[in-house]
Amino acid sequence: MDYKDLAEQVIKDCLKKGAEQAEVYLEDNRQLSLEVRNGQVESIQEAQSYGLGIRVIAGKRLGFAFVNDFKPESLKKSIDRAVEFARAVSPDENNQLPADPALTEIKAIYDPELSAISIDRKISLIQEVEKLALNIPGVTKSAGASYGESESQIIIANSFNWVKSYKSTGCGYGLGVIAEKGQQKSAGYESASRRFFADLKPATDLAGVAARKAVEMLDPKPLKTQRAAIILDPDVAYAILGGFIQAINGQSVLQGASFLGKKAGQKIGSELITIIDDGTREKGLASAPFDGEGVPTQNRIIVENGVLKGFLYNTYAGRRAGVKSTGNASRGGFADLPGIGPHNFYLAAGQVRPEDIIQNTSRGVLVKEVTGYGINPVNGNFSGGASGFFIENGKIAFPVKGITIAGTADEIFNGIDLIGNDLDLNRSLTAPTIRIKSLQIGGE
Amino acid sequence: MTNLWPELKPMARRRFMSLSLQGAVALAVSPAMVKNLLAGEDRSRLEISPGLLQKTIATALKRGGNLAEVYVENRVSRSIILEEGQFKSAVFGLIRGAGVRVIDGDKTGYAYSDELTEEKLQRAAEVASFIASSGKKTQAVSIKEQRRPSYVTVKIPLEEVAETKRMEIMKRAEEAALSYDSRIKMASIDYYDETRDRIIANSEGLLLKSSLPLIFFIVQTLATGNNTSHLGRERLSRHAGLEMFDQDTPEKAAKEAARESIAMLEAKEAPAGKMDVVIQNGWGGVLVHEAVGHPLEADNIAKQTGAFVGKLGQKVAADIFTMVDDGSLTGFRGTTDFDDEGTQMKRNVLIERGVVVRFMTDILSARQLKMERTGNGRRENFRYYPVPRMTNTFIEQGKDKPEDIIASTKSGLYVQSLSGGSVDPTTGMFNFTCREAYLIENGRKTAAVKGATLIGSCLDIITRIDAIGNDLAFGPGICGKGQSAEVTAGQPTVRIRGINVGGTRARG
Repeated sequence: MDYKDLAEQVIKDCLKKGAEQAEVYLEDNRQLSLEVRNGQVESIQEAQSYGLGIRVIAGKRLGFAFVNDFKPESLKKSIDRAVEFARAVSPDENNQLPADPALTEIKAIYDPELSAISIDRKISLIQEVEKLALNIPGVTKSAGASYGESESQIIIANSFNWVKSYKSTGCGYGLGVIAEKGQQKSAGYESASRRFFADLKPATDLAGVAARKAVEMLDPKPLKTQRAAIILDPDVAYAILGGFIQAINGQSVLQGASFLGKKAGQKIGSELITIIDDGTREKGLASAPFDGEGVPTQNRIIVENGVLKGFLYNTYAGRRAGVKSTGNASRGGFADLPGIGPHNFYLAAGQVRPEDIIQNTSRGVLVKEVTGYGINPVNGNFSGGASGFFIENGKIAFPVKGITIAGTADEIFNGIDLIGNDLDLNRSLTAPTIRIKSLQIGGE
Repeated sequence: MTNLWPELKPMARRRFMSLSLQGAVALAVSPAMVKNLLAGEDRSRLEISPGLLQKTIATALKRGGNLAEVYVENRVSRSIILEEGQFKSAVFGLIRGAGVRVIDGDKTGYAYSDELTEEKLQRAAEVASFIASSGKKTQAVSIKEQRRPSYVTVKIPLEEVAETKRMEIMKRAEEAALSYDSRIKMASIDYYDETRDRIIANSEGLLLKSSLPLIFFIVQTLATGNNTSHLGRERLSRHAGLEMFDQDTPEKAAKEAARESIAMLEAKEAPAGKMDVVIQNGWGGVLVHEAVGHPLEADNIAKQTGAFVGKLGQKVAADIFTMVDDGSLTGFRGTTDFDDEGTQMKRNVLIERGVVVRFMTDILSARQLKMERTGNGRRENFRYYPVPRMTNTFIEQGKDKPEDIIASTKSGLYVQSLSGGSVDPTTGMFNFTCREAYLIENGRKTAAVKGATLIGSCLDIITRIDAIGNDLAFGPGICGKGQSAEVTAGQPTVRIRGINVGGTRARG
C-alpha cells in the first residue's frame, strides 16, 4: 500500500475505534555509514527502515503508539493500544491536533543524486581525508575517518483531512587524528555535514583542521585559578546555545523550569546579542516545510539586541500559553511524541574579525573545546571543563588543558562584549566567535 | 567523540531517546517461561525458523569472512508520564527487526531489516557480505539451540500487569515527593518498561533465545525558594517484573529526589581550583566508569589509540584499587545472561590491586587482540552492530569507614551525587557535573555548593585514589557511545587527592 493511503487508513481506523482526533507520523529512511582506518575499510552499514507513530485524542486525553511492522494485525494492535491508553490518562483541554493545511516553501533540502553516487567514491573521500591528515607533520596516528548519509521521507496526516510530506537528505564525513610527543597524546576531530554531496567541504580543509587541532594542543602549560576574559570559538557555540534552547522551550517555561521564564520582553544580556531560529533556510540542515506535527515552519527572532522576544512552542504548549504554535514541534522519530525544539538556530554575526578579538584581549582564554552540559536551563549557571589557548597581551601564548570555566547566566549574557563576523550557517546550531568579559577559571 | 556528524538526524529511535531508556539485557528464564512470555497478549511471538537463520548465515558468508551472525529482536514497550498532577501521556511501542553481520579480518559489514521475511533477510545478508574481500572462506557450523544459566528472575511478569497498576506506583511517587516539603513545586514521574526478545545465531553454530523485562523509573522534583530552583532526580531500574517496587519503593525514590532539590536550594557557589574530593558510594562510580572504564574497552586497544594501550600487566593505581565489570549480578540494569553476540556473562576483573589485568572485549576485538571474549559485546537494538560496552562496573569494596575518610580530609569537596560526564578514550580526558556537593572543612561536611565540575585525565586520576570505603553500592544509568546501553555504576566511598574542580568563585 502507498504510504499516504496507509496513513489515511490508520486514521480512519482510529476514529472508528473511538478517537476524536488522530494523526499518523510515518518515516521511511535509508542510511549508509562507512568507516575507514589506516586506509582500510573497517565497516560498511546500509539499511532501509521505516515506522509510524499514531497519536490519538479521545475525551481530551492523549494516547500514542508506534510500530515498525505494517502487517494488519500489528497495526490493529497499535491502534487499539493507542486508543485504550488515551482512555487511561488524564484529560487536558490543550490536547489538540493542528488544523492548518499550509506548508512553508523550502529550497534544496533533498539531493536526488545522493544515492546514485557510488559507495566507492564515498570510501575514497574518507580514505583521502585520512591520508592527507596523516601526511601533516606532527600527526602520528589515525583514529579513523567516517562517512554517513541518510535519505528520508516524512509523511504526516491527521483527521483534519490533510496529508503533508517531504523528502530530505543529509550527508557528512569527518575524521579523528592523534598527535603524540613523548608520553603526550592529543586528539583532533573535524567533520562537516551538508544536504548535498557536492557541497561537502574538500578533504584538504577537514584534514588540515583536524591535524591542527591535535598538534597545536601539544605541550600545554598549567594555568593558575583566576578570573579572565573567555573567548568562545565557533566550535563551542553549543556550550552557550544548548542550555539556552532548553530555557526558551515553551513547555519548560510553563513548568517554571527555565531561568528565562519570566524574562519575555526584557533585556537578558548585552545589546550585541541577536539570536534567530530559522526553519526555512535554503539547504539548511534543520530546515523543513513543516514541523514534527505538520505546522508550517518560520524564521523567527528570539533575541533582538539583547531583548528576549519569545519562546518556542508546539501546538500543545502554545495552547496552554495562549499563543499559536511557533512551528517548533520536534520529533526524534516515529517513536516519539512531539516535543519542542529549534530549527537552524544561531547567534547572529557581529562586526569584528576573530583575530581582532584576540588582539584586543590583554589576558584571557580562547576556548576551543568545552566538556560538560553547558548552561543549566533551570538556573542559568554554567560550569564545564575546557581546553584552548591562554592569551596574553593580544597574542596566543600557550595551550591550556584540563581547566574549568564557570559563571552565572548574568555574567555570561551581560558579559558578552565582542562578537565575531565568522558565523558558519552551514551548521544547524551555530555562533560566531564571542568574547565574555570575565569568567571564573579553575586551574592549578 | 564517537558521533562525528551530530547534525544529521539519526534514524528514528524509540521514544525516550532523550532519556535513553534503551533496553538491553537478557532475562534468561526457563524455556517454559520464555514460551509463556513470548505468548503474552501484546507480543506477536518472535519466531524464525532455524533453517532460515542457517540460510541467511550461508548467504552472508558467500564472499568469505571469519564470522556471520543474525540477530533478531522484538521489543514491546510502555511509557507513561505523570507531570504537574496529570498523566500526560501513555505510549505503547512494538518494534522488531533483524541485523546481519559479517566479520572479515578487521572489517565489519552490517545491514538490517524491519521485516523478518526470507526475502529481506537474504537481501540484508547480501549487503553485509560485500565487506568480505580477504578470500578467507569459512564453513558455517550447523546451528543448534543452547541453554544458558540465567541472572534474571521474574515474579510479576510485566505482561500480566494492568496499566492502572503502573499508574498507581507513579501516583505514590508523586504524592511522596509533593508532601516532602512545600517548596517542592513540581514532581515529574517517568515510567518505562519493556520486554525484549532476542534470537542470536552465528556461523560458529550458536543459537540462543531469550526474553528480558526491564523497568526504568525516574522521579524528578523541582524545588523553588531562596531565589533559585533546583531539579532533583532519582532513578530506579532493574531487569525484573513489577516486584522491583517492593524493595525499591516509589516513595523512597521520590523522597531522595525531593531531599536533593531542597538541600540544593541553600547551595552557595562552588569553589574553583585543585582540591581533594570525596565521592559518596553508589552512582558516583560513574566517574571511574567514564574515566577508566571506557578506555579499558578493547576497541580502543585494538585500534592502538586508547589511553591504556601497552598498559596490560602494568601498575596504574595503588594496591587498594580493584575495578570490576560484572554482567552477571542478578537483576541489575547492566546484567544479561549473555551479551548481544551470545557470549556468556561473567565477572571480569579489569584492574586488580592497581594492575591492569583485562580489557573488555567483543568478538571482533577479542579476535584482533587474541584475548578471551569477556561478554561485553552489546548493541542498542538491531539497527546497530555490537561494540565493547560496560555492564555493571564498580570499584571493589575497601576497608575504610566512610566517616573516617571524611574526617581525615582537611578541606575539599564532598560529592554526594554526580549527573554524568564523558571521556575522550584516546586522551583519557574526562569531565563530570555534580548534582549535589558539599564543602569539606576541617574534616566535616559543611555547606552545599552548586555548579561544580570535576575534570582530569584517567591515568592521573587513578593514581590519586588513596582511600576506599567498606560501603559498596550501585546506581542505574545510561551510557552513550554512538548508541546507548543500560549500565550500573558502583563504588564504595572514595577519596581522590587533588582533582581539578570548576566552580564560579575563587577559593576563599
